[in-house]
Amino acid sequence: MTVRTGDLRLRISSDPRLLAVARGVLQTWMEILGLEVDRRSEVVLAVDEACANAIRHAYRGREDGVVEMVLGLTPEWIEIIVSDEGTPCPEECSEFKPIERPEDHELVPGGLGVKLIHEVFDEVRFCPGTSRGNCVTMRLRRRGEGGNGSED
Amino acid sequence: MAVKIDVDAAGEETLIRVEGDVDLYTSPELRKAVLKAVPKAVSAVGVDLGGVTYMDSSGVATLVEGLRSANEHGKTFALVAPSSSVMKVLELARLDSVFEVRSAS
Repeated sequence: MTVRTGDLRLRISSDPRLLAVARGVLQTWMEILGLEVDRRSEVVLAVDEACANAIRHAYRGREDGVVEMVLGLTPEWIEIIVSDEGTPCPEECSEFKPIERPEDHELVPGGLGVKLIHEVFDEVRFCPGTSRGNCVTMRLRRRGEGGNGSED
Repeated sequence: MAVKIDVDAAGEETLIRVEGDVDLYTSPELRKAVLKAVPKAVSAVGVDLGGVTYMDSSGVATLVEGLRSANEHGKTFALVAPSSSVMKVLELARLDSVFEVRSAS
C-alpha cells in the first residue's frame, strides 16, 4: 500500500460515541493543512454525516462494525474516503438531490445527511451495493491553502 | 463529547438550554427532552443553542421534530441565540428561515 505525504487513516468501531474522535482527528488534520475555518467546519460536518450513515444504515446500531476514514492530499484535491463493511445501502440512498427550502407541510426530520455531503464537496462518488460494504469518496478542490501546490 | 441539557419550565416559555456537541450519539437525549417539554409548556418553547459547539443532521432533525410537535400542540417554538455551528448547518440545510430565531432574552 502506497502512502502519500499527509495521508491519514483512521479505523473506528461503529460506536456513535467515537464520532467525536473522528471529528477531532479530521479537524486537527485540516488545521495542519491550513484549510480556512469555514470550510473546515463544513468538511467536518459532511464527513461526520458519512460516518454516521455507516453506523445508522450499514450496521443498523451494531457497534462492532468497522468504519474507516482515509484522508489524503493530491496537489489539486483533498480526498476523503469513508467506508464500512456493513449491509450495502440501496442505490437511491446515495442519489444526488439538491437542497431546497421545504414548504411547511413538507417539513420532515431526516434524510439530510447525503444532501449535506453533496452540498459541501465538489465531487462525491458512492460505490455502494457490493457484498463488501459501502464506500463514499469525497473530493474538495484545494484553494491555495498552505501555499502548497495550488493554482490560485 | 457529552451534551448538557437543562430544562426550565417555570415561566410562560419553557427554556431548554443545550451545551456541547449534538450528534448521532447525543441527539436522542435532546429529542427526549424537547418532545417531553413541548406538550407541558404553558404557551412557548425556546431552545437555547448558544453553547452548542457542534450540530449534525440528527440534531437538525430533532429541532424539526420539536417544531412540528409545537405546531400540533398550539405552542410557539423558537431557537434562542444559536451558535455559529448551529447556524451553519441550518443554512446548509436551507432550514434557517423555517425556524423563529431570536437572540438571548
